[in-house]
Amino acid sequence: MRKNPFLIMLASMLFLLIINPCLSMAQSQKEAQPSQPQETKEEATVKSEVTIQLDKKQLKNGGTVIVTGKAPEGKPVYIEVWTEEKVRAARLDAEVDKETGKRPYIFYMTDDMPAFYNLLMPKEFSDTLEAEKKLGRKWSVSALLRNTGATAVFDAPAQAKIDRYQTSILANIIGSRGELLSPMDKSENKRRAMQLVKAKFRDLPVVFKANVEINPDGTFKAPIQLPGNAPPGKYYVVAKVDKDTKSETVVFENSISFPSVYLDNAGRTVNLFVPFLLTVAVTTFGVLMGAGGGFILNPLLVMLGLPHTVVAGTVMPTVLFSQGSGIYNYSRIKFISVKLGVTLGLAMLAGGFIGPKLTELITLDQYKFLFGWILIILAALMLWQTTPKYLERNKKEQAILKEYQRRAQEAVKKKQEGGK
Amino acid sequence: MKVEFWGQEFKVNLFIGIPGAFLIAVASSMFGFGGGPFMVPLMAVGLRLPMYVIVGSSLLAIFFNTLMGSFRHYGFGNFDLIFFLIMFPAAILGGFIGPRIAKRLNPVIVKRVACVGLLILALQLLGVF
Repeated sequence: MRKNPFLIMLASMLFLLIINPCLSMAQSQKEAQPSQPQETKEEATVKSEVTIQLDKKQLKNGGTVIVTGKAPEGKPVYIEVWTEEKVRAARLDAEVDKETGKRPYIFYMTDDMPAFYNLLMPKEFSDTLEAEKKLGRKWSVSALLRNTGATAVFDAPAQAKIDRYQTSILANIIGSRGELLSPMDKSENKRRAMQLVKAKFRDLPVVFKANVEINPDGTFKAPIQLPGNAPPGKYYVVAKVDKDTKSETVVFENSISFPSVYLDNAGRTVNLFVPFLLTVAVTTFGVLMGAGGGFILNPLLVMLGLPHTVVAGTVMPTVLFSQGSGIYNYSRIKFISVKLGVTLGLAMLAGGFIGPKLTELITLDQYKFLFGWILIILAALMLWQTTPKYLERNKKEQAILKEYQRRAQEAVKKKQEGGK
Repeated sequence: MKVEFWGQEFKVNLFIGIPGAFLIAVASSMFGFGGGPFMVPLMAVGLRLPMYVIVGSSLLAIFFNTLMGSFRHYGFGNFDLIFFLIMFPAAILGGFIGPRIAKRLNPVIVKRVACVGLLILALQLLGVF
């Protein structure tokens, strides 16, 4: 007992000795960190021949900010706009490799994609944009950037650290993303970031616009349009002539107010009444037609523009509660064959393990296509359930069902009375 | 497999039941719907079980799928809490309103309307119009 204070002192001294270098190291690191961007900033201002101003610093629920500035005469000006909010983007590369003739099956994923990204280009490129847009779903970010001379200025999404996984059928069965491959170098990361920009934002006009008005004296003007579904928070704007000739980064802020809410995982702002009323209407109708609401709700939510992964992953748990209460009600009157339910349930458990993995791998278009066919099958099942033959059989079955339920309920009542 | 239910015995063909349930579970957890409308026909037609055996037991089977699917989706980061908090009370509200209206409607007509609605939705998803 007596030794205790000494021990504590000794221990604390040792502790201090150990932690001191760590602390000072951390401090020096902290000091070192901010100095770095300062240096680059100075460098940038020395080099910078591009200036930039915004007409306002605050937006509410989206809107338009006008960018004006000056760049060297006769040079094209590109403006990059991105938000601090990050969101996930993923893509499975399963296209046949031209050199090897094999499908690579590499899954690219990042959680650092800006939830909003725009690259504004000089007005002269509007025809190039139109031509790329005409390719429909086959448009490519890298081709567009090449044709507009914007490859060097495409930067914010390229900063996202992209992980890549070698997937395989086996990996999907055991439910993993596959083997994590070594990180990519900068140029490869940038190339993949271009593909992920398309995978995330899908439509060309969402990201690329040719609306920078450049005057002969080098002054320029462009509107930044933030849609109502843009995330809240800070937005960064940089005007660039090429990779190194750029303005400093200016910031504006977007705020959202009730009833708009930002869905973190979906990377979108929504009016909360839209999904709420939609869910009420669809689940009500779901009860009427005797099928869960998910069949109708999911496609509608996807059509609203929410990512299919988030829709599938969030709608599923909402029905857990109603299913649980249904099971409770049936089990109270002993109307469940546990043996049958658990046997089929275990098969479904295995299926439920694999399914969500597959959601990630497919694109929105594939999701829509497969879901479309599932709905056609479901519609056929519904139609079959309204045929006279089925109805007649069902009438009898329902009568038996009610009779059994009545008996079951009575049995429970008797038991309770007997218990009292 | 033999199943006893309220004094009656039923034979269940697991060679149909298990692959069928598995495939339905893969599809439903992949797309995020319940799977009941497919499980009930599977058990009624594929396994030749009467409706009074199916109603409760199919629900129990689907619950396994929904539970596992929800956990897996959560694990892959596909769950959005705010989105869930919007839809969850809405789903419960729908569950209250539904049965109240159901009594006043002819189920056959409802199913036919649903059939048309589903087809329109399907064609829209397939990009037909």
